[in-house]
Amino acid sequence: MNASVPLSLENVTKRYGQTLALKPTSLHVAPGEMLALLGPSGCGKTTTLRIIAGFSMPNTGSVLIGGVDVTELPPNRRGLGMVFQNYSLFPHMTVGQNVAYGLKTRGMPAAERTKKVRAMLDLVRLSNFEDRSIHQMSGGQQQRVALARSLVTDPKVLLLDEPLGALDRNLRESMQFELRAIQRRLGITSIIVTHDQEEALTMSDRIAVMAEGEIVQVGTPIDIYERPQSQFVSEFLGTANIFDGTLAGPAEAGMWNVRLTLPNAPVVKVAGPPSLRGSSAIRVAVRPERLAISPESTQLRANVRGIVFRGSYYAYELDLPGLEKPIYVYSGEKTVAANDGTIGLGWPDEYAIMLSDGGVR
Amino acid sequence: MSQPAALPIAEAGEATLRSRSGRPFQISSGLWALPALIFLMAFFIIPLAANIARSLPAEDMFRFYAVLFTDPYYLGVVWQTVKVSAITTVACLLIGYPVSYFMVRFAGRWNSLIVFLLIAPLLTSIIMRTFGWTVLFARKGLVNTMLLGADLIEKPENMVNTEMMVYVGLIHVLVPFMVLSITSVLQGVNPSLEESAQILGASKLRTFLTVTFPLSIDGIATGCILVFVLTNGSFLTMLLLGGGKVTTLSLLIYQQFTLTQNIGFAAAMGNVLLLFALIGMTIQLRFLRRKGVK
Ligand SMILES: Nc1ncnc2c1ncn2[C@@H]1O[C@H](COP(=O)(O)OP(=O)(O)OP(=O)(O)O)[C@@H](O)[C@H]1O
Ligand SMILES: [Mg+2]
Repeated sequence: MNASVPLSLENVTKRYGQTLALKPTSLHVAPGEMLALLGPSGCGKTTTLRIIAGFSMPNTGSVLIGGVDVTELPPNRRGLGMVFQNYSLFPHMTVGQNVAYGLKTRGMPAAERTKKVRAMLDLVRLSNFEDRSIHQMSGGQQQRVALARSLVTDPKVLLLDEPLGALDRNLRESMQFELRAIQRRLGITSIIVTHDQEEALTMSDRIAVMAEGEIVQVGTPIDIYERPQSQFVSEFLGTANIFDGTLAGPAEAGMWNVRLTLPNAPVVKVAGPPSLRGSSAIRVAVRPERLAISPESTQLRANVRGIVFRGSYYAYELDLPGLEKPIYVYSGEKTVAANDGTIGLGWPDEYAIMLSDGGVR
Repeated sequence: MSQPAALPIAEAGEATLRSRSGRPFQISSGLWALPALIFLMAFFIIPLAANIARSLPAEDMFRFYAVLFTDPYYLGVVWQTVKVSAITTVACLLIGYPVSYFMVRFAGRWNSLIVFLLIAPLLTSIIMRTFGWTVLFARKGLVNTMLLGADLIEKPENMVNTEMMVYVGLIHVLVPFMVLSITSVLQGVNPSLEESAQILGASKLRTFLTVTFPLSIDGIATGCILVFVLTNGSFLTMLLLGGGKVTTLSLLIYQQFTLTQNIGFAAAMGNVLLLFALIGMTIQLRFLRRKGVK
């Protein structure tokens, strides 16, 4: 009920026939924040966004905009902006008419309207395109028209459903920065739906990772990447090397000794909550770029399966005896394996991540 | 509609020449169009030309046309024709558009059933369908019996042989053409366009007027011209349901032909109808297709 929260969802659920597309979900978005809804296909991102927009009624729960319950309000009275995946520009109108549409519905006088449309087209760097027809615009330009059209009405919250999905890779990257810059400049609270983890990391202040109809973790990009709580999150955002083990007792403050389930049972130190006890099963994740390799002997020795040059780094694929899946290591240098074809493997203690779930999400 | 078929003929001619200049046998060879070409010449182009010739008698070339456009009676018939066609067209649009909209936006898997129900009556003879209305609205028909039973009327109303019945019959027969024309265009209008309008603050009505309607104008135009031209050409409905109260050009042609045998005058009226059809087609191709969205 806090008016300073531009958008919140309170225990919202959505059911399509037998399937629960959205399990009870609560979410609070801070003023001026860009929040990404990230998750694999079919996890309920679009469903969530459409409930916020008002195109879809939640079965339970409520949607609050600026502290006001809008659950029953139709989309045209919610004061939101939205950019659709296919841009959805009106093909029978010019660029200028498209941008002016939302101002016209609000009954703004023509002179003022023209001024606002011009200013907004300047902002998205389409100053001289006002009279162009939509068909004459490239994909990236249409994207910016759609953005201008949704921003010109000063919406309370901007909703973006995979806004860059249809663009090619290079354009997408530059648009990510541009979109983010505009959002920052206007200070507009935004929610962006994406299934591209890189896009979520680049563009958002916070990421809500979704899986199977629920939000499994919310946090800053660094939080989500460096401290994923589950194997699902660790693997969905980038690559993670997963090790199973058992608790072997406390180490120094906040750290635990974990005995990995590998031949000759190496013991590693992992940060974890103080509530752990006994010999519980522990799952540990380490990012490929945090793993260190050297020709010298260490606790773990792996066989080199392959090395790939990826431009800014080398990707090593290693076989660790006792593990089914290969281990991936990203390293700036090319390290030569020892004579027997093996390589030493290790990581600084602070980069081992304890996952909360032993099982697969 | 047979007019567009005139185009492929020209192309076919060229293709024949090319294949003669040493091209190997190919399925798209113009030779294959020859039967159609002969057929169209024999049953479409030549009769049309003959009809024009018949309407222009040697002694006083424009006699029939002069009568048609100066005699108050015939002028009245021309006006009646345009009026009946226009009212039928508007009525079909008003009835057909909501049906199309429902089919495209809400019917989902029922869509094909509705299309079937729309097309099924077209498989029945128009005479059968028209007589059906007579049976329903006859003095001792279903409608009168029901109204009497409900004490809404005291004695059976005369409902057949009225202008109203002609419209009912025409609309019944022609609404499917309108619905199918609009549906095919409306299917190409992405629902997210309507959602865009709504999120930008437009009410349902405004969304319809500024987005859905303008984007379906092409289908509306096609449907309207189709219904207009088909009404122009109908005479069975007027004959069977109008009871002589509605006289249009096509009915008059039928009468001229069967009763008075004034074939030259009938030909002139036929050509006026053809002109109406051509005007309609031109309007659509010239002004609407260009604005329409592909
Ligand atoms: N209108 C609908 N009717 C029935 N089921 C639906 C409907 N819309 C979505 N669903 C189901 O709800 C679940 C979530 O769908 P949603 O569209 O929200 O996924 P998403 O996260 O946006 O996926 P994507 O990345 O593929 O767009 C899916 O299992 C989907 O099949
Ligand atoms: Mg989606």
